[in-house]
Amino acid sequence: MEIKKTAMAGTLESSDVQIMLSQGSDGITFDLVSDVAKQFDDAIKATITAVLALYGVDNAEVKVVDKGALDMVIKARAMTAVQRALDLADEPNWEVM
Amino acid sequence: MATEERLRRTMMFVPGNNPAMVKDAGIFGADSIMFDLEDAVSLDEKDAARYLVYQALKTVDYGDAELVVRINGLDTPFYQNDIKAMVKAGIDVIRLPKVESVEMIQTLEKLVIEAEKQFGREIGSTQLMAAIESARGVVNANAIAMASTRMIGIALSAEDYTTDMKTHRYPDGQELSYARNVILHAARAAGIAAFDTVFTDLNDEAGFYRETELIHQLGFDGKSLINPRQIDMVNKVYEPSQQEILNAQNVIAAIEEARQKGSGVIAMNGQMVDRPVVLRAERVMRLAKANHLVDMEGNYIEK
Amino acid sequence: MADIIRDINLNNPTQRQYWQTFLSELDIDNFNVKELIGIEKIVGLFDGERLVGTGAIAGKVLKYIAVCDRGATSKGARFNQVMTTLENYMATLGRFHHFVFTKPRYIASFKHIGFGVLAESSLGAILEKGLPDVHSFIRQLPQMGNQTSRIAAVVVNANPFTRGHRYLIEKAATENDFVYVFVVAQDVSLFTTAERQMLVSKGVADLKNVVVVSGGDYMVSYLTFPSYFIHDETTVIDYQTTLDARLFKNIIAPARHITRRYVGSEPLSETTAHYNQTLAREFDDSIELTIVPRLNSQRQVVSARAVREAIATDNRQVWTEMVPETTALFISENITALQTRIRKGQKIDGN
Repeated sequence: MEIKKTAMAGTLESSDVQIMLSQGSDGITFDLVSDVAKQFDDAIKATITAVLALYGVDNAEVKVVDKGALDMVIKARAMTAVQRALDLADEPNWEVM
Repeated sequence: MATEERLRRTMMFVPGNNPAMVKDAGIFGADSIMFDLEDAVSLDEKDAARYLVYQALKTVDYGDAELVVRINGLDTPFYQNDIKAMVKAGIDVIRLPKVESVEMIQTLEKLVIEAEKQFGREIGSTQLMAAIESARGVVNANAIAMASTRMIGIALSAEDYTTDMKTHRYPDGQELSYARNVILHAARAAGIAAFDTVFTDLNDEAGFYRETELIHQLGFDGKSLINPRQIDMVNKVYEPSQQEILNAQNVIAAIEEARQKGSGVIAMNGQMVDRPVVLRAERVMRLAKANHLVDMEGNYIEK
Repeated sequence: MADIIRDINLNNPTQRQYWQTFLSELDIDNFNVKELIGIEKIVGLFDGERLVGTGAIAGKVLKYIAVCDRGATSKGARFNQVMTTLENYMATLGRFHHFVFTKPRYIASFKHIGFGVLAESSLGAILEKGLPDVHSFIRQLPQMGNQTSRIAAVVVNANPFTRGHRYLIEKAATENDFVYVFVVAQDVSLFTTAERQMLVSKGVADLKNVVVVSGGDYMVSYLTFPSYFIHDETTVIDYQTTLDARLFKNIIAPARHITRRYVGSEPLSETTAHYNQTLAREFDDSIELTIVPRLNSQRQVVSARAVREAIATDNRQVWTEMVPETTALFISENITALQTRIRKGQKIDGN
C-alpha cells in the first residue's frame, strides 16, 4: 500500500518517540535520532518496519526521534502514524492490531 | 454482580497518551489503574492514546491491579473504536463517562458483546462501570447500578456534576452530600462498588484527608485519584485498627472451627455469626494484608 | 504538577507584556513588527501561573522559542514539551516541514530532537526538520553534466524578468557548460511565483545549456531570515547574507557540482552590494564568484524595480526598453491586472 500523505505521531517527551512517515520510493528508509545508545537503533527500525509491513507499506521515508521509548510505545506510535498516513485514523485495521 | 469482591480503595487516573506515566502506572500500588482516553487526551490525539493504551495492556505487567479504561462518551466519534480496541486488548473494566440512563449502559453492553465476539474474547469477560456526572445521572443512579450484570461499580465525578447543579466544589463538600449518598446506596443495593470523585488540589493535604475520611465514614469503597502521591494517603485512612483486625481474626477462627467440626453454623461468644459479619471480617483482613499490618500467617505486626 | 500549555494572544496587552518580559529575561528582545507580523500562533507553557516556556509559528518557521528550566522536573523536558506542541499543531495544519533560526549555542538542543543544520555562523544558524527536506529538494533538481563539467548558478527573483537578467544568464551560459537558474519561490512579489518562473523560462528558452528551476525553500530572499534573537540591528544583514552564502556553498552547490556563481553588480542597493561582498568572502576558493556589471538601457540602469514603477505609472516606453519581448508581451496582456494588484496595495519598491 502506498502512503497517501505525510503523517506524524508521538511526542518529544521522555519515554516517547516521534515518528514521521512520508511517501518513499526506495524501500523503508530511516533517519533516526535517539537519546539511547546506538545499539538500539536496529531494534527501533525493525519494530517500525514490522508495523509498516502489517499494513502492506513497503516504501516510506521514516523520520524518528526517540526519547527512550519502550518497544510497545514504538509499536503504538508507528501504528498511529501509519493509520494517519493511510487515512485510516477513524477506521482502524483491526486485523493487524 | 462481581463474583469476587476486591479492594478498590484507589483508582488512579493515568493520561492515556503519556508513555512515561502509562508504563510506570503499575509501580505505585494502586488497587485500580484507570487509563484515561477521555478528558486527559486532546481531540487530535485520541487515536494515538487508544493505540498506546492498547499496546500497554498487551505488554506491560501491572501486577494485581485492576485495569480500567475511561473511554470517550457515547456522543463522540471515538466511542466505538475505543470499545473495540479495549475489548481486544482484554481490559478488565470499561468506565463510561457521563452516564445518565440505563439505556447508555445497555448500548455499551451490546457493543461490548459484539466486540467480545469479534475478537474471540470470552463473552462476559469485560466488566463495566458508570461515572455519574449530572443531576440526571444521580436521579437514575439506582437503575444504572443495576443496568447490567457486568456492572462492578459506580463513580461520582464532581467537576461536571457541580457545574450541572449550578455550583462548584467547596472545601466542606456539602454540595456533594446528596449525590454521594445516592450513589453509595445505589451501589450497595446493587452489590457493586462505590467510588468517590477526584480531589484536584495537590497542595491541600489536609483537605484531601478530610474528604477521604468523610467518604470512608460514609462507606465508599474508595476514591478516584489524579496523583500517585494520594495512594498512600487513602490507604492510611482505610487502614483497619488493631482492634478491628483482632475481631476479624476471631471471626475467621470461628469459621475455621466450624469447618473442622463440619458444622454449618458459625458461632462466636455464644452467638451466631451471620453473613455480613463474615464479609466484613474478610474485608478487614484484606485491608490488613494490603496495608502490611499482618504477616503471611495473619499475625498482627506491631508498628 | 505537570506544566500546562496555553495559547498566548498578543492582542491582549497584559499577556503581550508578560510574554515580552519573559523573553527579554532569556536574552530575546527584538519585537520588531517585521518579526511579529507573520506569527499565526504563540503557545505558552505555564507552571501554575508562571510562564516557563514559549514558542511561535509563522508559516514554516518556528520562532521565539525559549524555556526556563528553573523548577522543571528534568532538563530539557519543557523544551521538548513546547516543541512537541508546536510540531503537533503544525501537523494538524498539514505542515510537516519547518525551519528554526536560532543562536549557535542552541544548535545541539535542536539536533537532539531531529533538526538538521542547513547553515551556521557565529551569529546564528538555520535548521530544518521534517519532510520534504533539503535532500528531497536536491533529489528533484535535474542533473546536468558531470564532475568535469563547468557548471554555474544564477539566483533571480525576476520580478519581472528583464534584459538585465537575460544578459547575466547569457553570459554565464557562454562561459560554462551548464547553468542552473534558481527562481526565488516566495510568493510576495508583484509578479506571482508562477509568472516569474514562466517569464524566466520563456526568456531563456533559446539557451540550450540553461535549466530553470524553483529555488524552493532553500534559495530564498535572505532578507526573510528571522532575526528576532539578534540584539544589534547592524549585524542582521551580515547574519542573513552569511547564512545564505554558506547554505549555497556547503549544501546546494556540491550536490550539483556547481563551481561558479554569477551575480549582477549593485550600483543602486547597499543591501545587495553587501550581499555580493559576503558571497565573495564566503565562497573563497571553492566557488568562483563573477560579478557582472549591470546592463544599462538608453536612460538608466536596467532594473526590475524600474520596470514595476513603469507599470505603476503606465510608462510603456520604459518597460519596453528594459524587458525582453517575452516579458513585454506578458505585461501588455496583463497590464490591467498588474496595475490592479498595485492599487490593491502590492508593494513595488521591495524586490
